[in-house]
Amino acid sequence: MRIVIAEDSAVIRAGLTEVLVDQGHEVAAAVANGEDLLEAVREHRPDVCVVDVRMPPSYTDEGIRAAIAIRRDFNETGVLVFSQYIETRYAADLLGAASGHGAAGVGYLLKDRVGDVGEFVDALGRVAAGGTALDPEVVTQLLRVSRRTDGLGELTPREREVLSLMAEGRSNGAIADSLFISERAVEKYVANIFSKLGLAPSDADHRRVLAVLRYLDS
Amino acid sequence: MVMSGGRDRPQSKGETGPIDPQGDLGLRSADQAPPLIRHLSSDFGLRHTKGVAITRWLVMSLLVILGSVFCALGYWWGAWLYIGAAANGLLAYLMPHWKTALEAESRQRVHELERSRAHVVDDAAARLRRIEQNLHDGAQAQMVAVVMKLGLAKEHLEGADAMNRNANLIRVAELVDAAHRGAQDAISDLRNLAHGIHPPVLDEGLGAALSALAARCDIPVELMVDLSERPSPAIETIAYFCAAELLTNVVKHSAARRVVVEARCGPSLVRVRICDDGVGGASIGGGGGLAGLAERIATVDGKLEVESPPGGPTEVAFELPLHA
Repeated sequence: MRIVIAEDSAVIRAGLTEVLVDQGHEVAAAVANGEDLLEAVREHRPDVCVVDVRMPPSYTDEGIRAAIAIRRDFNETGVLVFSQYIETRYAADLLGAASGHGAAGVGYLLKDRVGDVGEFVDALGRVAAGGTALDPEVVTQLLRVSRRTDGLGELTPREREVLSLMAEGRSNGAIADSLFISERAVEKYVANIFSKLGLAPSDADHRRVLAVLRYLDS
Repeated sequence: MVMSGGRDRPQSKGETGPIDPQGDLGLRSADQAPPLIRHLSSDFGLRHTKGVAITRWLVMSLLVILGSVFCALGYWWGAWLYIGAAANGLLAYLMPHWKTALEAESRQRVHELERSRAHVVDDAAARLRRIEQNLHDGAQAQMVAVVMKLGLAKEHLEGADAMNRNANLIRVAELVDAAHRGAQDAISDLRNLAHGIHPPVLDEGLGAALSALAARCDIPVELMVDLSERPSPAIETIAYFCAAELLTNVVKHSAARRVVVEARCGPSLVRVRICDDGVGGASIGGGGGLAGLAERIATVDGKLEVESPPGGPTEVAFELPLHA
């Protein structure tokens, strides 16, 4: 993968570059703020960028704004937002913006997840390929928020669990493995989720994303 | 004997010679006196003509005295009434003025307290934000990097096979070494941060804390501490951080060769003075950190004084109440 990194902490920027290069990927540029990120994306057209949320000059949500701009202007580039904290609002902004422009190719992970190099690189690969990768923490927080609304009220706890794993960007096989059930059972849950959320059986992958977004929007 | 005209009253036996002129000219007998006098006379049992004159004088004198007393009392009360009324008038006139003055004073005090409270709140929020930023950019970032390196090392260990075991082990050793250094950096960051929040030496008193501060200063510090009474912990903390900031200012801006730090106790206050032989030119309104310091000191009703002519020397002193 061709990757651009935007991260203002030099020590994390160096660490991340080391991990990605070590895993055989190309880090086209590693920058420290949102403006340089947009420029680097324009220049290198990477498959995916890893973007920190808090960057100069205001140290608030530069990363989120840059990520939304990238999803709007560079359809082929996925964005993995990479943060020390999970802010539900940022996740909602990011996914809301993404849903209007291809509805995919976004991720939101806690920085600690790089500790599991394999899983981190997998998540990055999913986002590069137009999928989603949400931190379990994001999912937990969004689930907490969504409990208050009625849209997902009909889902059983198991279906909710499957949906939250879908939100993390897992495939049916991966969901089956993590819940210790068969892939066929997962398919059944997924079909139930689609029908309860009123998603017509058209493009299966797209429906997955829509279900996740419905889930996150609620 | 001639009977006095119109008098049918019998003369007393043995009464001879000229008729008592008083009978005609002057005072009438008790029977003829006005009812009050008659009454009084009868009360005294003085019906006899011989005692009547004296009795009348006595009664009249008594009446005059009583009248005078009543009049005097009347005047007295009247005077008091007048004084009271005048005082009331005066009060009515002065009260609004006093009230306005008091209100203005209390309004100003309330305003001062509001300002200093707002400053305390801002100061606390800014402190928390600084701590969060330091954590985010320091120890937390270090630890993320450590986790990345250890994650990579783990990956290399898991992927190692017989063919490239040695090469992998060298790489793993490098990664673990880097992670180890990163963890040490993070610990040192955390230590500095914790120290910045509350230096443990402050628990031993302001004197000990100032002496630790002096020992760490890059410019030689002559320290004079005379604190017979220990200020409350909040005051010690403010005094310590103010002294620390002032010493940092000296090191950064004054080009001084030596500094004197003096801490003394007054009857109800602690006074800290920091003098240097540097270039001078410091002022509270100069846009530096001194204004913030003055605000922080004012939150506990303390005060900061700066004397720093261009060319030096600089003397900055602050006073804080012993107990906040």
